[in-house]
Amino acid sequence: MPRPESKMINFTIDGREVSAPEGAMLVDAAKHGDVEIPVFCYEPKLGQPVGACRMCLVEIEGIPKLQTGCSTPVRDGMVVYTETERVKVAQQSVVEFLLINHPLDCPVCDKGGECPLQDITFGWGGGISRFIEPKRHFVKPLELSPLIAIDRERCILCYRCVRFSQEISEDYQLVLLERGAHSYVSTFDGHPYVAPFSGNIVELCPVGALTSRPYRFRARPWDIEGAGSVCTLCPAQCNVTITVRDERALRVLARQNDEVDDGWLCDKGRFAYQSFHAEERITEPLIRDGGQLRPVTWERALEQAAGALKRAGANAAAIAGGQSTGEEGHLLARLMREGLGSPHLDSRRAGTLSLDAHRALGAPALQANVSDLEFAHAVLVLDTDPVNDASILDLRLRKGIRRRGLKLAVASPGPSSLDPSAALSIRFKPGAGAAFAAALSAALGASAELETLCGEAGVESAAVRELAELLRGPEPQQGADSELQPREVVILWGERLTAAPNAELGAGALLGIAEALDLANVEGAGMLEVPATANGRGLREAGVLPNAGPGLSQLQDAGRDSAAIAEGLAAGELSALYLLQCDPLRELADRALWERALAGASTVIAHASFLTDAINEHADVVFPAEAYPEKEGTLVHPDGRLQRLRPAIARPGSVRAGWHVIAELALRLGLDFDVLSGAMASRQLFEAVPFYSGLTLEEIGGRGVRWQEREAAAAFPAPASAPSGDGSFEEPADPGEAAGYRSVWDAPEVEHSPAFDFLFKTKELV
Amino acid sequence: MSDTPPKAEQATPDTTALKVEGWNPGDDVIEIVRSPDPGPGRATWRTFRETARGLLTTFGRFTETPVTVEYPEEKTPVYPRFRGRHKLHRFEDSGLEKCVGCSLCAAACPADCIRVVAAENTPENRVSAGERYAAVYEINLSRCIFCGYCEVACPFDAITMGHDYELSDYDRSDLIFTKEMLLAEPLERTPLRNEGE
Repeated sequence: MPRPESKMINFTIDGREVSAPEGAMLVDAAKHGDVEIPVFCYEPKLGQPVGACRMCLVEIEGIPKLQTGCSTPVRDGMVVYTETERVKVAQQSVVEFLLINHPLDCPVCDKGGECPLQDITFGWGGGISRFIEPKRHFVKPLELSPLIAIDRERCILCYRCVRFSQEISEDYQLVLLERGAHSYVSTFDGHPYVAPFSGNIVELCPVGALTSRPYRFRARPWDIEGAGSVCTLCPAQCNVTITVRDERALRVLARQNDEVDDGWLCDKGRFAYQSFHAEERITEPLIRDGGQLRPVTWERALEQAAGALKRAGANAAAIAGGQSTGEEGHLLARLMREGLGSPHLDSRRAGTLSLDAHRALGAPALQANVSDLEFAHAVLVLDTDPVNDASILDLRLRKGIRRRGLKLAVASPGPSSLDPSAALSIRFKPGAGAAFAAALSAALGASAELETLCGEAGVESAAVRELAELLRGPEPQQGADSELQPREVVILWGERLTAAPNAELGAGALLGIAEALDLANVEGAGMLEVPATANGRGLREAGVLPNAGPGLSQLQDAGRDSAAIAEGLAAGELSALYLLQCDPLRELADRALWERALAGASTVIAHASFLTDAINEHADVVFPAEAYPEKEGTLVHPDGRLQRLRPAIARPGSVRAGWHVIAELALRLGLDFDVLSGAMASRQLFEAVPFYSGLTLEEIGGRGVRWQEREAAAAFPAPASAPSGDGSFEEPADPGEAAGYRSVWDAPEVEHSPAFDFLFKTKELV
Repeated sequence: MSDTPPKAEQATPDTTALKVEGWNPGDDVIEIVRSPDPGPGRATWRTFRETARGLLTTFGRFTETPVTVEYPEEKTPVYPRFRGRHKLHRFEDSGLEKCVGCSLCAAACPADCIRVVAAENTPENRVSAGERYAAVYEINLSRCIFCGYCEVACPFDAITMGHDYELSDYDRSDLIFTKEMLLAEPLERTPLRNEGE
């Protein structure tokens, strides 16, 4: 679908000639001439303006009445005045009206100091109040939800929160009740507003009516500093600003990056920060001593770990979890391959995917980016549920459907939150994602195997044909429009599609679909993988795979994948296991096997933040892991965008940087990585991966950079041979969610944040 | 410059007497005009007269009472608007703290010596009259410059500048006054100047 083009037009504002993009609202266009028009209800992220607050009134030549600047598009030759007497009187009256019922309790209000109502009253208000009658009163403060407090006296009825709930997150929970001065924001029957994206309304509220309960009264704006970083709690990697006071993260705000998160943030990213300062967090190295983990010095922990790794040698194995950075993954891979001579290293959750499949699926031409999801003609969500796998993509798809006419198809084993918005929803058997993809590939290619594959996937062949039709789009009518746009289709697929035992079938089917729809050659079309872990893509590209080195390079001999590592440990063929921010019992497939594997391992070395079951019962050496606001390094977004983590707060206790610990271990194994800082670790990674070459941290900056858009992307290795898509489907032993794929909301960060206690209390009640 | 009038050269005093090798002051020499020499008798009289004038002031004070204040036994009264050590206040009727922990004093403080951490009042634990109260309220008096901006900024008249100026201590950390110390009734050890005194 064509991206909106911006044609510049000229207009006059306050006597100045200004050029602005055509169709922009006056409020936005005025900014091109350095004129600020005050607004409360206008927020471009929320879509169409409503003109509810009347704060943006301006005078336009030729129109007798004052017009709202937020809902009047600028036109060529328009003459606008924002500082005439009429406008000033109108602005002062609006502020006076808004303040009639506003309690003016700024000293106790959390918004005080960063409040648009304060700023606008100061800048455009009359400065006096003539109102002596009693103000409107509500009971306050009330819990709108366990995470949000509402103070209805402060509300100026701008509708922002209601519009968010109705039009952005589409949970339709918030409504405006009653009429006139008695209006108030509420939910039906006063039910708590619990939704995955509810926290955004706190940030949207232009007054202190909606405040965050975990942040309530923690700090004032002049006590705090903002530190930009990237949330690593799920693969969506939203950009965030962490509010820091006294070396503590007190709040997480969205940092708008249209290419990643569109300025929204899910509640996990927004409220799970409390876990960084949880009492239960591991802040010093631990060693198992007499069956109990006891705190020790770093020297002793490192000596013990290095000794165990040295003894294990090539029988050591390592698994990197999704929160580790590319740098940590790269150093870990070097430690295993160069220091110990062990190829047993994995970051994927279940099964091996051949190197050719990795290369073919990761090919730069095939990669869609996040904004392609919004502008595509059709999107197929294949074997993933965005709200549970990469939450923020859910909002992006809804935006595409609502504003751009995107046609969404959902194919998943269970119900998806996107079903009501989807043009087509198809359910297949749990674990049969690969078979379904193969069926779709067959339907697109008009292959005869369709019926068999549909049988294996447990779907009607008619439904698959209908899906193929939807993706193909309407047949171009003859002679109607010779310049018909190529159809942009984006396939959003989950990593579980390429899980064992049907990894090759899934990969082959995906490539078949891509070929049938010509995704590689159409601008704006492509595939976007949702990895199972936050930095899944980055770790793979850094070479944390059993069968690929840095930059998906060919290895001499392949190692074991995670499942084979577990088998090897259980059978006694492998001895030591290094877990980099990974809890195999929680995160990897086949818990029973991993129980045996961990019990069978002679030494388990873990980087961990919390003493989860696996760590508490099986780890022999525990290194305290950093939380993401303490980390320095880079991540790779599922669409190939390298993003930079910058330290926002100090590491608690004696926590050390991940790259530092791995480098120290390597030193004890006689290997000098020559890494003395996080930036040096990044440089080594950029040098090791051919298609990152020439990257610098400065180039990545605050917004990230997609490696596919750089020249070095040409160095991406091409597959030696196309992976075959005609493998037969094998019923997985452990279908569905049990195969190690858990919702991103099911994480230790959520469990250890007091703000989320309500989630677990509800469970107990049930 | 070539067009410099020759007059300037004429005005230049004779600098031959100042001639030092390697130093050429050029036009920068100022001519000092001295008064006529008073002569030895007149000079002696002048010296005597001025000394006597000074001693007259000295001996004139002999009859006055001493003005020394025997500090610390005796103290000079301070003016009502003297800015000494801060005080936090409570409501007289309810006993609740006036401070709501809004941090405006900390924002106004040019020396950055106030630290406020707020918390929420609960029905069981009601500390202040508003929704929030100051869980931590600290003033680092070794850093305070006693400008009184905190008092001006306070929207609830919860903090005022007292009259106490005796703030020396043996340890810097003892000069960080906590909320309890600031709320406590201060020792009345600074006399206040009476009206019109």
